[in-house]
Amino acid sequence: MATTTAAVSITSEDLMPGMPLAINAISTLMQTGTTTGLELVDIGYGKLTEASSADSLHEALGTLDTANWVYICNNSTDQSQYIKVGIHDTVIGNLGAGEWLWMPWNMGTADNEINIEAETSGTIPYDYAIFKSTYTLPAKT
Amino acid sequence: MATTNASITIASDIISGVPINISKSMVMRKLGSSDGLEETSGLRTKKFSATTATVVIEQDEFTDTKASKFYMRNTGSSKADFFYVAKHASAAASDTAAVTIGKLYGGDWMLVPYLGDVNITVAPSTAETMTLEFMVFVE
Repeated sequence: MATTTAAVSITSEDLMPGMPLAINAISTLMQTGTTTGLELVDIGYGKLTEASSADSLHEALGTLDTANWVYICNNSTDQSQYIKVGIHDTVIGNLGAGEWLWMPWNMGTADNEINIEAETSGTIPYDYAIFKSTYTLPAKT
Repeated sequence: MATTNASITIASDIISGVPINISKSMVMRKLGSSDGLEETSGLRTKKFSATTATVVIEQDEFTDTKASKFYMRNTGSSKADFFYVAKHASAAASDTAAVTIGKLYGGDWMLVPYLGDVNITVAPSTAETMTLEFMVFVE
């Protein structure tokens, strides 16, 4: 059985004056509702250009309503460049230069692809990893 | 200007012979700026003992279309019970289509950008007591 862990540390000395912030957490990723580790992953690197509209990063081709995890990092160093991250027609948020996100993804319906869109100008490099409970390969054309 | 750092480490042996090790740090900044975020909701915990969908982050407290972020964690240990997390007035997966983001089982956490345009709600999968920890980092 594969083991995948995700750890986070959030710290700030001055966000809340007089109360330094230190959050630390770690989780082990399991298949939906079980204690069996995830065994499917899609990992990669790409570049987005502002000229294109939102692109599907990953289609919802697995079993609906399952435990899956998404990591995306905007690798730009230009602070004016950010990536809009969405699930189908819902924009989750704006991922700024150098920022990453980590979120569960349950593929609520077959339309619930993860999509990304570059904002402002130029080319934005990004990397991603998607850990999945299930996945069905696209049909041959 | 405040400085808030967040780092993630993902380690996996899913691919035999090719270990996955992702390690990234970021400074939480305002949209399109090198200035750090300066406001927060504070770290909160909330106990739930019903499956009713509940708003935990209210959009009207924040400015839309900026670079806010929220952190959320199911503090429990059960890998059978979970919170649905949704960007909507309801957090049930079956009837909210794309607005349901995902599920947080015991020990699971998430850190995502937040547009501040719609409430964030959660719905426990069980009436057994579960606790959610969350914090909004605000632009």
